[in-house]
Amino acid sequence: MSRQAADAELELIAKAQGGDKAAFGELVRFHREGVVNVVYRMCGNSHLAEDAAQEAFVRAWQHLPNYQPRSAFRNWLYRIATHVALDALRRERGTVEVDELSVAAEEGGPEIEVVSKERGEHVRRAVLSLPPASRAVLVLREYEGLSYREIADTLGIPIGTVMSRLNYARGRLRESLASYLEVS
Amino acid sequence: MTEHVTASLGAYHDGELRGHRVHQVEAHLAECARCGAQLEQLRALTAVLGASPPAADLTSPERFVAQVGFRLRQRSERSTRGKALEIGWRLAPLGLLGAWAFLQAVFLVAGVTLLARHLGLGGEMLAGLGSAAPPGPTLAETLRLSGAGLNGLAQVVLYWLRDEGPMGWGVTLNLAAMAVISLLYGSWLASWWARRRRRQL
Repeated sequence: MSRQAADAELELIAKAQGGDKAAFGELVRFHREGVVNVVYRMCGNSHLAEDAAQEAFVRAWQHLPNYQPRSAFRNWLYRIATHVALDALRRERGTVEVDELSVAAEEGGPEIEVVSKERGEHVRRAVLSLPPASRAVLVLREYEGLSYREIADTLGIPIGTVMSRLNYARGRLRESLASYLEVS
Repeated sequence: MTEHVTASLGAYHDGELRGHRVHQVEAHLAECARCGAQLEQLRALTAVLGASPPAADLTSPERFVAQVGFRLRQRSERSTRGKALEIGWRLAPLGLLGAWAFLQAVFLVAGVTLLARHLGLGGEMLAGLGSAAPPGPTLAETLRLSGAGLNGLAQVVLYWLRDEGPMGWGVTLNLAAMAVISLLYGSWLASWWARRRRRQL
């Protein structure tokens, strides 16, 4: 994020903290994709992800007066989003359906596209099979590109724990996705 | 060959190593095929994860922002209602205390008035109270009339409840009201304790 964009975001945050819902709407628009992505990678269902992402923004609005610009706003949002995703998973345990692979629509299309979709589905299921604590670290690192320090701040855990959870998650994925790693 | 760097490969891959640790790992990788293969696997894993598609069929940003705004309005209305209920809940013991005080005052005034009338005090005013309307059958009389065939236990109950008996109508009513107020206060205490427990968890 450029210096100018960061300043603009700080301005929007200050306005939102003063009760300006339009400014908060701009923040929602700007961070929607990242927050939905984090929740989606955590729970594997796009409808649940959107619902949980909206809930994350509502919680962010409620806790906005407590936000200190010392930490990045994005990381603060991701922290809330991760908790909301875990809450949603706990609440919906056993009822959440992972989005079905829509291969049928692609029948007759290029074979490689079908293979690519199948692989995407396997990857998603492998990520979802990880314990939530390790999955959160992996999602923030691999999909959102956060540094270890940022992940530690976001999840409120020590850097050593970030590293051990990430190593564990990658070890598990290297086993479950071994066939894709060999051909890549 | 130097010691394997398996534990540091993840951090190296993520660009999280600094200073001499980077050189150490790179020097080892130059001579160790096993660690090199592990690093390649990590890189391949990152590529495979990155290639998995993002969430599909998402609503438009405008619609998403509008839905968040709608939830905020809903939550705000709910929170106003919740605050009103919370204040009501907190004031409930005061309301019960007020009801208790009011009932005691009513029974006290009624008792004193009846006693004064019984003793012939208060002159014309209290005498007028008694004669203003012809006295109808009292509860005990009504029960006596309808309970002609009642058994022994019912006779005892009627004896206790009759107007001049040990548990006259006024005393019974007072005790019943106290029982209801005590029950309500007990329920309030139980809910207060349950809320306190929930907050501690």
